[in-house]
Amino acid sequence: MMQSPTPLVLIIDDEAAIRDGCRQALEKFGCAVLDAEEGDEGIGIARDAKPDIALIDLKMPGISGMEIIEILSRDVPDTVLVMITGYATIVSAVEAIQKGTYDYLPKPFSPDQLRSVVRRAFEHRKLKIETRRLWEEKERMEKSFITFVSHEMRSPLVVIRQYIEALKAVAGDRFDRDMAAIIERCGARIQDLETLVEHWLDVSRISEGSFVLKKEPLNLIQLIKQSSEEMAPICKEKDIVLKTDLPDQLPEILGDPESLLRVFTNIIGNATKYTPEHGRITVTSENDDYYVTVRISDTGTGIPSDKLLFIFEPFYRVRGKEERQRGSGLGLTFCKKIIEMHGGEIAVASTEGQGSTFLLKFPSHLRKEQGTGKPSTDPATPFRPF
Amino acid sequence: MTTKKKILLIDDDKDFLFATKLILERGGYEVFLAEDGKTGVEMWKSVAPDLAIIDMMMETWGEGFSVLSKIRATDTGRDTPLFMLSAVDLQGPYGSFEPPPEFPRVNAVLQKPVKAEDLLRYIAQELNAKKIS
Repeated sequence: MMQSPTPLVLIIDDEAAIRDGCRQALEKFGCAVLDAEEGDEGIGIARDAKPDIALIDLKMPGISGMEIIEILSRDVPDTVLVMITGYATIVSAVEAIQKGTYDYLPKPFSPDQLRSVVRRAFEHRKLKIETRRLWEEKERMEKSFITFVSHEMRSPLVVIRQYIEALKAVAGDRFDRDMAAIIERCGARIQDLETLVEHWLDVSRISEGSFVLKKEPLNLIQLIKQSSEEMAPICKEKDIVLKTDLPDQLPEILGDPESLLRVFTNIIGNATKYTPEHGRITVTSENDDYYVTVRISDTGTGIPSDKLLFIFEPFYRVRGKEERQRGSGLGLTFCKKIIEMHGGEIAVASTEGQGSTFLLKFPSHLRKEQGTGKPSTDPATPFRPF
Repeated sequence: MTTKKKILLIDDDKDFLFATKLILERGGYEVFLAEDGKTGVEMWKSVAPDLAIIDMMMETWGEGFSVLSKIRATDTGRDTPLFMLSAVDLQGPYGSFEPPPEFPRVNAVLQKPVKAEDLLRYIAQELNAKKIS
């Protein structure tokens, strides 16, 4: 009845009648059966034979069933544990399950009940092992993928740009205007690709947990000003008014200046991309006792409401074929992840044709002398973006 | 006519060597190429260049640093300008690597790809500074 390979079941019970009855029922069912009449012997057998399933009587002389369960779930984690008990109370069942038991079988039980529990336990074991295998495989692939991308994909791009540099050095003075433009554009596109690879790496590293933030108490006003300054030339080119309307003081937050600067540059940069000429971008900030909130609004093309949900997803693009703006498709994914790593949140509201507003919210850095309240556990200040 | 200054370039990427060689030759230097650290150190001794540029990451992480140490340990290598090249961003898996404090002096760390004008300017600065002092 059971699929191969033969399941190996260990029975630990002090009653010979139970052991024999189980053995008969399970052998008929196609299982291999080991048994032990007391706990220590059972634990020894389990450690050596690593059975698929162990049936453990809760009440035995000597070491108790609960203790056996604790030891086995630690020493042979792949063995699925089923408790047998003549005193099936909710309390003991809950305790056993908390200690790592998968199921329990109240005495007296019929051979059919036993088989059905064993069958389910065996399925559970297969799923457990499969899940772990897939998880390990996923982890391994993520790790090797990052190494692969950083070495094998970036180095050719670096070399191509070096060749372009060499070409300009060797023959730059002989290029006419068109040739120079072609070379410039090739270089720019290669650099875009390099940026995409880097963003991809960043997002992968964040997911994998190897992206390191160096957090320190910092003032967001400085960062916002710095990123606005970086965007000033683009705004000037498109005649966009970039207005930062910030208070004189903001509470400090605990943050990594480098990645947060990238977050602000990214969001303000997006605003410049999607805001037509003569438009307006406004950055404001406010705070309460627990949070510092930055609002970045533009008078740009806006995002259709059915697409708002997806804009933080990797490689998601609001516009399809007519998309003329180049970008990695990972900028907002990066921003969201970085903000979340700071215990913050990002939200967006948008009206198509009128503009978008991004709201970035960070927990303020509460120094000990300023109180003991923790922003994340304070129910009085839920995050209400709009 | 003055003899050309000699530059030794050590990198395991043939294309990077070739591209950079073209830039350096354009800048009026005589260029020697080594594709691995061992050859690089040997050429250092036989060629006696005026400046060397060493890739940080060849074969294994750190080979560039070991080449640097070996060159600095030679008689001619004590005061010659040495540049390191890096394509590693600081958030990478090697982000935590920090050379120990007693580490040999590096005159400049250049990020790959390096702009032709920057490369030639850094080299000129180092070689001129040496001449004056």
